[in-house]
Amino acid sequence: MITINNVTKEYAGKTAVKNLDLVVPDGKIFGFLGPNGAGKSTTIKMITGILPIDEGTITVNGHDIASHPMKAKKTFGYVPDSPDIFLRLKGIEYLNFIGDIFEIPKNIREEKIEHLTKSFGIFEALDDHIQTYSHGMRQKVVVSGVLLHDPDVWILDEPLSGLDPKSSFTLKEMMREHAAKGNTVFFSTHVLEVVEQLCDEVAIINKGRLQFRGEMKEMKEKFEADETLEKVFLELTNHE
Amino acid sequence: MNKTLRLIRTMLKMQYSMTGKSSGEKIGYVLLGVFLIPFSGIIISFLNVTVETLYTQLAPSGNENAILGLLFAGMTIVLLFVSMSSILSSFYFAEDIEGFIPYPFYPYQLLAGKAAAPFINLYLTSGVLMVPILTLYGIHSGAGFIYYIYALLLFVVFPVIPFTIMAILLMFFMRFANIAKNKDRTKVFAGLLTFVFIIGFNIIIRLNQNPTQTAEGAAQLIAQQNGLLQVITGMIPPVYFSTMALQNAENLNGLIFLVLMLTISTGGIFLFLTAGQKLYFKGVLGLTTGSTKTFDSGKAAKKIKAQPVFLALLLKELRTIFRTPTFFMQIIVQSLFGPVFLIVILLFESSSGSFGALSSLLEQFGKKTSLLLLFIFTLFLLGVNPASYSSVSRDGRSWPANLYLPIPAQSVIFSKVMTAWLINLLSIILLAVVGLTIIQMPPLLFIAWITLTLLASWFTCLVGTALDLNDPKLNWTDEQEVFKSRFISLIALLIEIGTFGFFVLLLWNIDTLQSLWMTSILLSLLLAAAIAISHVALQKLIRTKFLYTR
Ligand SMILES: Nc1ncnc2c1ncn2[C@@H]1O[C@H](COP(=O)(O)OP(=O)(O)OP(=O)(O)O)[C@@H](O)[C@H]1O
Ligand SMILES: [Mg+2]
Repeated sequence: MITINNVTKEYAGKTAVKNLDLVVPDGKIFGFLGPNGAGKSTTIKMITGILPIDEGTITVNGHDIASHPMKAKKTFGYVPDSPDIFLRLKGIEYLNFIGDIFEIPKNIREEKIEHLTKSFGIFEALDDHIQTYSHGMRQKVVVSGVLLHDPDVWILDEPLSGLDPKSSFTLKEMMREHAAKGNTVFFSTHVLEVVEQLCDEVAIINKGRLQFRGEMKEMKEKFEADETLEKVFLELTNHE
Repeated sequence: MNKTLRLIRTMLKMQYSMTGKSSGEKIGYVLLGVFLIPFSGIIISFLNVTVETLYTQLAPSGNENAILGLLFAGMTIVLLFVSMSSILSSFYFAEDIEGFIPYPFYPYQLLAGKAAAPFINLYLTSGVLMVPILTLYGIHSGAGFIYYIYALLLFVVFPVIPFTIMAILLMFFMRFANIAKNKDRTKVFAGLLTFVFIIGFNIIIRLNQNPTQTAEGAAQLIAQQNGLLQVITGMIPPVYFSTMALQNAENLNGLIFLVLMLTISTGGIFLFLTAGQKLYFKGVLGLTTGSTKTFDSGKAAKKIKAQPVFLALLLKELRTIFRTPTFFMQIIVQSLFGPVFLIVILLFESSSGSFGALSSLLEQFGKKTSLLLLFIFTLFLLGVNPASYSSVSRDGRSWPANLYLPIPAQSVIFSKVMTAWLINLLSIILLAVVGLTIIQMPPLLFIAWITLTLLASWFTCLVGTALDLNDPKLNWTDEQEVFKSRFISLIALLIEIGTFGFFVLLLWNIDTLQSLWMTSILLSLLLAAAIAISHVALQKLIRTKFLYTR
C-alpha cells in the first residue's frame, strides 16, 4: 500500500505537484494518468526517494520514505521512465548487482535470472554491455531486476512504452498475477487501451492536482455510459 | 556555400560553446590566457636563439635555406600527428554525426563541417611554431615585403596536405581495418599513443636543454649532411615547394613555386572531399561499441556470485572506470602518467651515469629532511586524483539508482572513496618499486614514506569526493563533460597543497625535531587529524546533500 498525504513539490518556484492526497490499495492494479508534464514522474520520484518532498508525507507499506528510507526502499521495486542506467555494466552484472543489494541467495538468483530473462527474450544478450541494448531491452533488464528481488510494491513509470507486443503481454500478465496475490501495482501510462484492459482503479492528475480517483466502473458511470475512455480523459484534463 | 558555413558554425558551436558555462569558469579561461603570455615569451626567445645560431652558422656557406627546409619538414611531421588525434576525435569519437545525417546536407558539407575543428587545431599549432620561426627567419635574413606575403599564404595552405594525407589514411583504416569495429578499443589505443608520444617528446626536450649548443650541433650536422637534407626535402613536394617559394621570394621562380603549392593544396581539399564521401560515411556509421557472443546457462551460473554490498559497489565503480574510454584515459592513464614519466627519466639518468648523485643527495640531507622532501614530492607527483573528484559525477543519469535502491548512503559514497584510493594505490606501488630498486632507499625511510603516502592518499580521496558530492555534474551526455571546464580539480589541488604544505613547513621549521620516528609520528598524527575532519565533513555532506542531488 502507498499513502500519499497532502504532498506538494516545487521546482525552482514552479509547482509540479500540489496538495496531492492518494491511497494506492493492495490487491489492485492502479493506473496513474495525466497529460505530459502533469506531475506523474515527479510524484513517483518522491515516492521512491529520488526527490525530496517539500510538504506532506509518503509511506510505502507503512514505512515513511523520508524518515525510514531503507525500510521503505526494501519493500518496493521501481522501473524508471528512462531505463538508461549502468550502461557500462553487462546485463548479467546488473542483475547480479541487484541480487547483492537485496541479498538474494545464489541458487534462487541463478534460477530466477534465467527464467525471467528467457521469458523476456534477453537471456542471450546478458553477456553484452547494457549500452549495446535497444530501448526495449534496457527496459526488460530493469524490469527483470525488479522481479528478481520480488518486492511487495511495484512502482512502474510508463513500463510498457518500449516493449514489443509479446513482452508487453508478459508484463501485463505478471502485473495481474502480482495484484491477485494481494500486492500493490502502481503504474503511470498514456495508453488508454492499457488502462481499460488492465486497471482496477485509476487516478488522473493534471497540472499537479488530482482530478479524479476511483474505480474504472465509477469513472465511466460518472459520465455518460456510451462515452469512450478517450473522451472522458480529454474532458477531465481539458477543464480549467 | 552559405549553408555549408552555417553547418560549420553549428558544429563548432557545439564543441566550443561558452554558453552554459558559469562566470567562474569564464574567469578561469581568462586567467589561463594571462598565464600563457609569459610562457609564449619563453618559447619565442628560445626559438630566436635557435634560428639566430643556425643562421649565422649556415649563412657563410650559403646553406641557410636548410632552416626553411627543416622547418617545413618538421612541421609536416608535427601537423600529421596533430591531424591524427584531432581527426580521430572529430570524425570518429564525437557522437554528433548521426544527428546531422537525417538533415538534407550533401556529404561534402558534412565533411567540411567535421574538418573545421581539426583545422582550428592545426592553425593553432602552426601559429605557435611556424609564424614565429618564419618571422624570425625573415628578420635575420633581412627579407623584403614579398617574403612576408608569401609566408602568410604558406601558413594558410600548409596544413592542408598533412591533413588530407592523414584523413585519407585514417578513413581508409577505419573503413577496412578490424580495430575500427570496436570504437572503445580504438579510443583507448589512440589515447595511449598520445601518451607515449608526449613522454617521448618530453624526453627529447629534456635531452636538448641548451638551445645554442643544440643549434650549433645541428648546424654542423646540416652543413655536413646538406645533400641528404635536400634529398629528403625534395621528396616531399609541399616542403620543397614552400622552401623554394620563400627562398626565391624576390624573383619569378618564387612565384611559380608558390602557385604550385597553392594548386596542390586546392587539389588536396578536393581529394579529401571526394575520398571522404566514399570512405567516411561507410566507416563511421558501422561502428559499434559492443560484441556479440553466445551465452548459456553454464556461463550465466559462472557469472552469478553473491558478494557483500560494499564489494558489489566497488566492482561496479572499477568496471565503469576501466570500460569507459574517457574515464580510463582521464583517470587511470592520467594518474600513471607522473610515475611512469619519472621512471623513464630516472632510467635515462641512471644509464648515463650521472645518477648515483640522487641517493647520495638523500644521505646528505638529514633523515627528517629526506622524508619531508620525499613526501611533498610524492604528493605533487600523484597530484589530485581525478577518480576522487569525478566520484559522483561519473554516475551521470544512473545516479538516481543510488537513491531508490536500498543502499545506505555511506556505502555508496565510501565505495567511491575506496575506488579512488585503490587507483592511487597503483601509482604508489610504482613509486615504491622505484624507491626500492632504482633509488635503494633505506628500509626505515621507505616504510615511513609509504605509510604516510597511503594515509595522505586517503585524505585526498575524501576531499575530492566531498567536493564532487557538494556540486556534482550529472546531466552530461558525453563523459568528457565530467572533467572538461570544471574547476573542481583546481579547488581540490588548492586544499590539498595548502594542507600538506602547511604541515611540511611546520615540521621543517621545528629545529629540535630531527629523528625520523618523531617526524613520521607527528606527520601521521597531523594527517589523522585532517582525515578525521574530512570524514566528519563528508558525513555531514552526505546527510544534507544526499537526498537533494538530482
Ligand atoms: N528537473 C526539473 N526541473 C524543473 N522542472 C521540472 C523538472 N522535472 C520536471 N519538471 C516540471 O515538473 C512538471 C511535471 O513533470 P513530470 O515529469 O512529473 O511530468 P509527467 O507527468 O511525468 O509527464 P510525462 O507524461 O511527459 O512523462 C513539468 O511541468 C515539468 O516541466
Ligand atoms: Mg513522466
